[in-house]
Amino acid sequence: MASYSRRILPCFWKTTKLLTFEDSARRVPCRYHQELLPTRNYLLPETVEEHRKSELSKHPELPPSITSENVPADFRFVYPEFLPDPQYDRRDSIRERLEREDMYRRRAVIDIPEFYVGSIMAVTVSDQYSPNKENRFVGICIDRGGVGLRAFFILRNVVDGQGIEIMYEMYNPTLQSIQVLKLEKRVDDKLYYLRDAPQEYSTFPFDMDPIPVPKGSTVPVNKMKVQLNPRPWLERWERQDLQGVEDLKLEQRFYDKAAKVAKPWEKYDLMKWYRENTNEEERDSIMQEVHQRKRLTDIEKSKRKTKLAERKR
Amino acid sequence: MLRFPYRARPRKMSRQRLPEEGIIVGQEGRLQRLRQLVTGLVRYERIETVYQHCDETRGYAERLIHTAIRNGDQHQHTMEMADYWLNEKDLIYKLFDVLVPRYQNYSSAFTNIYRTPIVYPGRGTEMGILELKGNPWPDVLPKQRDNRYVISNVLLQAARKDYNTSKESRKTKNELNSSSENSET
Repeated sequence: MASYSRRILPCFWKTTKLLTFEDSARRVPCRYHQELLPTRNYLLPETVEEHRKSELSKHPELPPSITSENVPADFRFVYPEFLPDPQYDRRDSIRERLEREDMYRRRAVIDIPEFYVGSIMAVTVSDQYSPNKENRFVGICIDRGGVGLRAFFILRNVVDGQGIEIMYEMYNPTLQSIQVLKLEKRVDDKLYYLRDAPQEYSTFPFDMDPIPVPKGSTVPVNKMKVQLNPRPWLERWERQDLQGVEDLKLEQRFYDKAAKVAKPWEKYDLMKWYRENTNEEERDSIMQEVHQRKRLTDIEKSKRKTKLAERKR
Repeated sequence: MLRFPYRARPRKMSRQRLPEEGIIVGQEGRLQRLRQLVTGLVRYERIETVYQHCDETRGYAERLIHTAIRNGDQHQHTMEMADYWLNEKDLIYKLFDVLVPRYQNYSSAFTNIYRTPIVYPGRGTEMGILELKGNPWPDVLPKQRDNRYVISNVLLQAARKDYNTSKESRKTKNELNSSSENSET
């Protein structure tokens, strides 16, 4: 037995550094490695499916299974945060479902409108330190991301000559209202290059009036091209294939290097796309659920409105 | 949705020597090699290489067929993918005219993968076989003959059953005898 224990942990007395668990696990022979690693709490899909189909799991309070609905094709771009994290070792179907339920409940209370990267938005947050207990910020949405309750968006504006960016979590309970002042898209997915652009491109007045978009019309795409400041920059914009940027006016060696490090084959990597995105079948089923729940909450909201109107009379 | 377990991260594949392009390293070389394998799989419906390469090819081939089934041949992105992944262009017709009708009602994976025994003496690599389901070749695994109802097995089964029943009856008789003896004493 003594020889075995010596073989498992040979490096403890040889190093002065206190080894962590991972360090010691890396040094053990291969046959003990699996046993020493922490086991992941994992259920086989077959077991979960068996349990799902059993009589015990048919709960009377659960909503009925979703019938096929005609979901608009662009629905997933309006509600991207409902799609789960595609990495399967981070996934948990029960947690995802509970999170979605929480999101529906939050959306029943607060109106989270349709918006995209490039839209100009106004957000009001409750703030205990400000004189009227709330804080309003107006800016252009430069990024949007996150999954589930951790979904976020970033607003950018210039206040007193200083660029300001605030990241808001969409389902944060301290958010009082989200308003879209100008609904439009830009040609790029992220607008971080506005940091290296002149300030007039990201300056928006706080008393801006909302510009309504006629109902039924498609979301307009703003094809404006931004002229960036000369180098130095925060990022190497010439390597990022930006569409909404004027000619960068660099020396030829920058473009040569960009062409050298470009990865044009990545768009053909089918499995890379599959690993980084939620697959189509799952996406469709989730979007059907979102569509159905949205319809129900809209009906409830309209009922509430009519009740309020009756009371006022 | 892929209907077989796939790895969370892609495998690194060693550099590839191609006849026209020469040696290509890294991600690009990996995709070039996988393109060859996918083309071979669609052409011959069964290929044999290193097991790890088979496993990597499997995901790409299945994703290609999935997108072809889902989007059809009028979809620009799907046609670009078919054009990239099939080096021999006559196979694009095969993909849409043969493989899509074959697999559109499947509820399982479209491919099978097998490990083959390591040959000794040799390079010592783990070799594998990847095949499309419904191919015209003979099966990789030998078919197990159902010999439950062969006359000799039926007779043996009956004899075994007889033996067990007689054994049980003897056992119960002995128990009854012993209990009666106990009550007498």
